Amino acid sequence: MERLYHQYKRRVFGMAHRIVGASDAEEVAQEVFVRVFRGLASFRGDSALSTWIYRLTVNASLTHLTKRGRRKEVGDDGLTELPAPPVAERDSALAARIEAALDQLPAGYRAILVLHDVEGLSHEECSAILECRVGTCKSQLHKARAKMRDLLGAGIAERFAKGTSNDL
Amino acid sequence: MTCERVRAQLTGYLDGELDGDAGTVVRGHLRTCEACRATASDEAVLRDGLRSLPPVAPPNSLWAGVQARLAAEEVAESKRPAWRRALARWQRFVPAPRVAITGALVAAAAVAVVYWETRPVEEVAREQIAWYRQVVVPPQQFAPEAPLLKNQPAPSSCATVADASIDVSEALALDGQRAEAAYDCAIQDLLTEAANVRGDWSATQRSAFDDKVKAMREVIAKADGKPKQRATRAMVTYLQGAVTRDQVLLAGVP
Repeated sequence: MERLYHQYKRRVFGMAHRIVGASDAEEVAQEVFVRVFRGLASFRGDSALSTWIYRLTVNASLTHLTKRGRRKEVGDDGLTELPAPPVAERDSALAARIEAALDQLPAGYRAILVLHDVEGLSHEECSAILECRVGTCKSQLHKARAKMRDLLGAGIAERFAKGTSNDL
Repeated sequence: MTCERVRAQLTGYLDGELDGDAGTVVRGHLRTCEACRATASDEAVLRDGLRSLPPVAPPNSLWAGVQARLAAEEVAESKRPAWRRALARWQRFVPAPRVAITGALVAAAAVAVVYWETRPVEEVAREQIAWYRQVVVPPQQFAPEAPLLKNQPAPSSCATVADASIDVSEALALDGQRAEAAYDCAIQDLLTEAANVRGDWSATQRSAFDDKVKAMREVIAKADGKPKQRATRAMVTYLQGAVTRDQVLLAGVP
């Protein structure tokens, strides 16, 4: 049991941290592990163990947000641009600004960004965790990134990139 | 390709998910469109930034908290009555209440539909003839209780059916021919009733009624067996509706 905990603690806590925020992450992560240990005996193996644990994490996080009602879901009109940092701080500031923008995203978008971009899971894994189709997953990721771009404001590349991306 | 379509594919392009041709088209557009190139650069930096966010280390207290909650749950569990523990174990193997209730409702509806569609012809006939007796033929016209014999010949006219109509319901359950004769009789009486009240109908209503009756008669004439029975029942139902609606209107009921 403890081995399982140590194997998944970073990812479970990391996901919960970025979806519900720092203050409630521990509570949610505890809830997830309690559910995992209680449900392990009845785990039917329909999906990979990791997928099941991450699904529990995302569901517990979203349920926690709903119960708490702390975050008001932000619509398109409610998006606010974050102020640009001074040039000297650009490298260290990008992560902080991304975290701040993540915090303003609707919970569903936050979940897909955390799973795919932050945790590096594939679309297939994300769709299994979120229990949706791969196409829906891709579409949600596209919308989530677009919203993040809105939040961060145009010209992110100019302000933060060390050089031109090799992807283009 | 328009900027809008290219931007819709940017996420897939940057993640290397577009196949050769689609990727080439997007790449070609980005070489010539400065605005899309800027958007793509922003998204690439954003994606790289998300990927390189530092991992969040769980606090040391997390494991202790998990153990404490598990222990608390075990203590609470041990204090519950045995029957509730058994119920909780059993509940793991049954679907959630919402799923179970929905399933039960769907199953009940399916059974009801199947029953309604397949209920015996005689039962439907009984209901319709009972209505016919009550509404169209005054009760005093029926003879007192005198059950028909099971193998008695089928009545051939309305008069015969009316004479023996006190036990038509029972006869219907036994003999298809009697049912047919009783229906014919009912149709005749209902048409007579309709003729009596059609003077109060509008010209459009009269015309629609005549067309419908004519069409139904044609269907009945062409059909045989069960389809014929269904068509006949449908005609009785239609005529009942026409006569009843008229009676309701005449009685001044809104």
